[in-house]
Amino acid sequence: MNRLLLLLALLLMSSASSAQTRTVDPDSGVVTWETRVHGVTLSLTQILPDQARAFYLNRGMTAEAVESYANACVYMTVLRNDEAPGVVRFRLADWSVVSGDRSRPPIGVDEWLVRLEAYALTKAALIAFRWAQFPPEQAYQPGGDWNQGMLTTGLAPNADFDLVARWDVAGETYEGVLRHVRCAP
Amino acid sequence: MSVAHPDRYQWAWLLFGFWLLPAYADLPPLTHGLTPTETPEEAPPLRFPTLDDEIIDIKDLKGRVVLVNFWATWCPPCRREMPSLEQLYQMAGEKGVIVLAVNIGEDIDTVFPFLGQVDPSPTFPILFDSDSGSLAQWKVKGLPTTFVVGPDGRLAYRAVGGREFSHPDVVRQLLDLLPDEAGK
Repeated sequence: MNRLLLLLALLLMSSASSAQTRTVDPDSGVVTWETRVHGVTLSLTQILPDQARAFYLNRGMTAEAVESYANACVYMTVLRNDEAPGVVRFRLADWSVVSGDRSRPPIGVDEWLVRLEAYALTKAALIAFRWAQFPPEQAYQPGGDWNQGMLTTGLAPNADFDLVARWDVAGETYEGVLRHVRCAP
Repeated sequence: MSVAHPDRYQWAWLLFGFWLLPAYADLPPLTHGLTPTETPEEAPPLRFPTLDDEIIDIKDLKGRVVLVNFWATWCPPCRREMPSLEQLYQMAGEKGVIVLAVNIGEDIDTVFPFLGQVDPSPTFPILFDSDSGSLAQWKVKGLPTTFVVGPDGRLAYRAVGGREFSHPDVVRQLLDLLPDEAGK
């Protein structure tokens, strides 16, 4: 009986723990980190500074305006509620980018919009910028609600960090951690 | 601060200018479920011009099932789900399902070329919300987000993120909202 309980406990632990994967695109060298934990998928894919520049220049931003963003360690971020035990609710402000002995949330879209006020950008460019970012808060129903968007850590090129994503399901707080993520060169 | 000239990034414009994200990333699968709204509220206002400069007002569509999809050309999941919206429209349009795709913040010169690349090309109305004001009214927090409005004018379903709208599960969910289809 004790052995059965131990086996059950180990199975439960393994289903709650994450198996982090790291894949490298053979053509570009760009890296994706992904984990699946508590029924939620979280992934970060590097966006190279030139790719970020290209995207926003093509959306009407000026080279001056996009420069600091492009160098702010940008990721394509995906969070999806595959089979969490309820609605996944999160605020990006509750997440942590941990690098060395420093920990802070990702840079929020509101902070970027304040910084961009200096550049007199068109309304269309600002709308594209705003909605291309990973949502600052969201609620995902089970069964496949998800988002894909850009997220910036503000770290320097090649910096190493852990991302701690936090969300609530029915009042319980859960974490998904991506370890040793590296900013694009 | 020295800023490089855009021409330096011309290669990237060509490769990535139209896409939000690099093509090399493994894209997450489109899912195929719509979530019933917990408390079906009256649909918020929605009144915008189409590609043909015709005004469409959701108030005039009561009695029909209306799928409202908020999107933009630079949003990868929005682009990926667009063919399935047309397939859904072809399967269910004549039965009373209307698809309205509300473009956020872009102009016709941007949207029209994109629609020509979609296969099958959309025949449902594309609406233009040039200042993105509808997103706050509909409580949208990320693109794409889709709502289904029932014949009573109330929100019946919501989907956050890309979907395969031509999936039989989705088609059935929509058809079941039609009074004549219920129980079939």
